[in-house]
Amino acid sequence: MKYVDEFRDAELGRALAAEILSLVEPGRDYKLMEVCGGHTHSIYKYGIDDLLPENVELVHGPGCPVCVIPMGRVDDGLAIARHEEVIFTCFGDMMRVPGSEQTFIDAKAAGADIRMVYSPLDALRIAKANPDRTVVFFAIGFETTAPSTALTLKRAKAEGVGNFLCICNHVTIVPPLRALLESPDLRLDGFIGPGHVSTIVGARPFEFIPRDYGRPLVTSGFEPLDVLHGIAMILRQIAEGRAEVENQYARVVPYDGNHAALAVMAEVFEVRPHFEWRGLGFISQSGLRLSDAYADFDAERRYETPGVRVADPKACQCGEVLKGVIKPWECKVFGTACTPEHAIGTCMVSPEGACAAYYNYGRFAREREVV
Amino acid sequence: MTAPSSARGACRSDAEDGCITCGDVAVELTVELVDVDRGLALCSDAAGRQESVEIALVGPVRTGDRLLVHAGTAISHLGSAANPADPGRAAEEVGRP
Repeated sequence: MKYVDEFRDAELGRALAAEILSLVEPGRDYKLMEVCGGHTHSIYKYGIDDLLPENVELVHGPGCPVCVIPMGRVDDGLAIARHEEVIFTCFGDMMRVPGSEQTFIDAKAAGADIRMVYSPLDALRIAKANPDRTVVFFAIGFETTAPSTALTLKRAKAEGVGNFLCICNHVTIVPPLRALLESPDLRLDGFIGPGHVSTIVGARPFEFIPRDYGRPLVTSGFEPLDVLHGIAMILRQIAEGRAEVENQYARVVPYDGNHAALAVMAEVFEVRPHFEWRGLGFISQSGLRLSDAYADFDAERRYETPGVRVADPKACQCGEVLKGVIKPWECKVFGTACTPEHAIGTCMVSPEGACAAYYNYGRFAREREVV
Repeated sequence: MTAPSSARGACRSDAEDGCITCGDVAVELTVELVDVDRGLALCSDAAGRQESVEIALVGPVRTGDRLLVHAGTAISHLGSAANPADPGRAAEEVGRP
């Protein structure tokens, strides 16, 4: 298959692993963060970390949109979903994310009309097919997904679909990266930059990382050779004393992004003054809400929501996992009270979550043996 | 707090492939039909599953083109069947960083 088989070639993988080995200095530790949950998933699916020298450590970043949703926002969605006239729609992974008392699946079992959709466009179709109901779409995701929501809202407006609303939880990737770099308890040597977010925003917005913090970032694809190549490019920069933004995923990522996507996002959304991230707290200008031009489609303006900050369960250490301070298996409840079937924390819910990725690909057993 | 739900997600996601819609994941689809007036294309994956895709972000699209699709929206144009990009060359470049 084009763009797949070529990037899973074992021989090329071994050559890249040898290249990586030649680039690291013995006795020096390298800590690289993969920003995106999709990379975390690839790393454990293909055992990429097994190909790396022992002194190269991969740290999982905050780039799984499900994992960073705080419980309070789930509660806000649930409050809207319980209205009798509402058909509440969300992506599949959101269905299992715990709020303070229920998940969306629990609420559905209790009688709320909650439906899983594959895209915002699916939610709009439901709205058009049910003109006597109010259809609310729970929008989550980084800049990869936000244009899809924006285009759907624009379509709803153009077609005069008045019973379609959105509760917007879209977030942006640059502010949490800056917050991580300012964090005193985290030392990172470089970043594997997000692949598909960069398809929308480009690689240019990450230039502040080498400029202000002296760390390299390489935007990378998701196939095993992409990730290995990205790691090699970061290590080469470090070996040569450089810190730059480089684009490994140039076959998909334009350096300046997708102008049409950025334009529709600017029309439909505006930046919130602050937004809460699970584990990272409130981060300035990191979330999006609907602009005044789309106020009629804003579920938060139509319905009362609790809007309350809810503390995570005490046993849950998702915050430290999301900041890369601890490994998933170092969490007190990993693999015992918290599993993909009985998730306490968001990182165990989504396959892109670091904990679920560890658990699903057998890292759990191996790491415990090491201990 | 009640006990966490034990229900498994009903998403198209699974541990093998991840979640297409929730994660930063995109899939390659081939265009079968284009509805220029509505800004949509009917696309199919390698297994023949079809879905409607927003094409506003990727410029002109024709039957046979390959698109990178995330959450029902094409985010990148990967070339056409008649004039594909050259992944072999790209893989070669990957092998020689």
